[in-house]
Amino acid sequence: MKELEKLFARIMQRVNINLRELEFNVKPLIRNLIPLHQMSKFYAFYGVTPHHPLNFEFRQSSLAGSYFLGKCSTINSMLYKSDIRGDELKKKGDAFNYQGMEITVSENEGIDIGDSFLIKTLVHNFSHDPETLEKFFITNTLSTHYANIHGSPMDGSFLGPFSTVDLTTTNDCVIGTYSYVQAGEIGHLSVDPGTVWVRSPGAFNFLYRYPLDRLSGYIRFSAGEPVQGLFIDFVEERKEAFQQVFNVVNLELPISVPDTASVDRFAVIKAHTHISENVLVAQRAYLQNARLGKGSNAQENCYIINSKLEGYNVTAHGAKVIEADLGRNVFVGFNSFLCGRPNVRLSIGKDSVIMPHTIIDVKKPLDIPEGHLVWGLITSREELETNSISLDAMSQTTDSLVQGEMCFEGSGAAFVDAFRNRIHHILEANGAYYDGTRNRGHAQKNQNISFNTIQPYPDGDLAGLYPTISILP
Amino acid sequence: MFTVKDLMVPLSEYATVPKGSTLFEAVMALERAQEEFDHTKYRHRGILVLNKAQQVIGKIGQVDVLRALEPKDEDLEEIKELDKFSFSPKFVRNLYKQRRLQGAPLKELCITAAKVKVEACMQTFVEGEYIDQDATLDMAIQHLVLENLFTMLVTHKKEIVGVLRLSDVFGAVFHAMKEFETTL
Repeated sequence: MKELEKLFARIMQRVNINLRELEFNVKPLIRNLIPLHQMSKFYAFYGVTPHHPLNFEFRQSSLAGSYFLGKCSTINSMLYKSDIRGDELKKKGDAFNYQGMEITVSENEGIDIGDSFLIKTLVHNFSHDPETLEKFFITNTLSTHYANIHGSPMDGSFLGPFSTVDLTTTNDCVIGTYSYVQAGEIGHLSVDPGTVWVRSPGAFNFLYRYPLDRLSGYIRFSAGEPVQGLFIDFVEERKEAFQQVFNVVNLELPISVPDTASVDRFAVIKAHTHISENVLVAQRAYLQNARLGKGSNAQENCYIINSKLEGYNVTAHGAKVIEADLGRNVFVGFNSFLCGRPNVRLSIGKDSVIMPHTIIDVKKPLDIPEGHLVWGLITSREELETNSISLDAMSQTTDSLVQGEMCFEGSGAAFVDAFRNRIHHILEANGAYYDGTRNRGHAQKNQNISFNTIQPYPDGDLAGLYPTISILP
Repeated sequence: MFTVKDLMVPLSEYATVPKGSTLFEAVMALERAQEEFDHTKYRHRGILVLNKAQQVIGKIGQVDVLRALEPKDEDLEEIKELDKFSFSPKFVRNLYKQRRLQGAPLKELCITAAKVKVEACMQTFVEGEYIDQDATLDMAIQHLVLENLFTMLVTHKKEIVGVLRLSDVFGAVFHAMKEFETTL
């Protein structure tokens, strides 16, 4: 235990050194957030498939949870119930397209986690930084509950609860609670809680900032306090269902799954759930009375409850869909919270894009028309008017647009195209378009995964830490 | 060669107000100073704020008065931050303009600003904004240019004795140039 405490202190110190310019101190925020003494009771696991070459190195680290498909090293770090999923890393010889240049990847990409503490964080996708194609590094970083590090190498940064850094290299930054950043590259920046920022330099810039007084009911985090608000309550209330899934070695699914679909054995599947062809349900997804139409996916940490998804729907990492009906090809972005109520349905028309980190929480039925872009906080029809626009109208924007708290500058067409292309890519990678021979994706490749567990020292000075482990094919 | 003492406005002739005054009282003090002292010599542009011990604790310039008229709502603070998120200066300017057009009329802003306490809008002096009264003109020029200042506080034995203004230094330089030109 002594060594684990030393490691914890060392990580906090390193993060603070990197964030000294921003005068940000992580210590009071996380000092009592994690029960260190319990780290020796958790186990870690890694998936084994014929499709993902094994290459793991764990040194002077504490691990809990995970998945680790693909190359990954964890040194002087703590992963607390995190999900590191490297099944989309670049491979040697791949061509990476950057601003019209084709850059060849010289070796298999690996996730390198060093001197970092990731708490219930999802790390996924490949790094999009053209300067470090072969290395997806996460160093001197502290990331808190249900944050997403998605294709974003980072150094010296702090991620607040339910925040997301997406396709953005991040150096010495503080990302506030429930903020979403997709900006290519940022440095020495403090992003306030509730900021949704999507920027493609030279093409477009989108910014929405939540009213913090209203956001705090959903999620808030301050020094000396635990993470609080509806989001964390919602997740905690369903924690037990996951504990059952993680405690059992061989688990029978309560539903039938088509041959072309994949339901991860670490997902929670409750009664009255229907899975169609080419559906992908990732680990730590929670489905209850959910109907997933053909080609839909439910990504990590997402919850779909009493809802119907027509088909080809993307429910991104951490998104929650409750008492809702989603038309075909609706995209629900990271950590969005879409909440109808019994007899108060939320309907979203086909081809609509719900921006990452959108909250729709209604007490009266609400219909979102097809082909709309939706963002921010919406609790009524009036707020929907302010916080949405048809994708066609958005595509007409050529200069700037200000609507409520949303600011947009640049080409609306480029913005809409970027989303459409990305949605298409996600569906393609997940195997939504599989026709029996072509377009195999995760839904088809991830059907048979073996999981091996590894465990830490049970007591003594090293309690909670793992011995140095190398795992190779 | 001029010294700072030759060019400065003595403190006794400068517009001053005590801490706790309103912006309206400060503007009135400026008007009085303008009327009371030599019109040809000084055109007063600033007001010094004094504490109870009659020490200078800050200065209000014309731009500070105008800045006090700007609405102080959260919206404008948020617009200021757009720069951090890489929005273009043009976008930010347009947004300011739009919010200004939607905001309160000037009359209302003037009435509100007049009641603001001077401490809320004064600038405080920092190291580098002081110069000794015996410093020479060339030292004063170097100081003003390097620090990018419009005024400096003039000291003598740690006491503030006056204000040196960019306009007075410029006047002296202009005078010197003319003199050198005609004697060549």
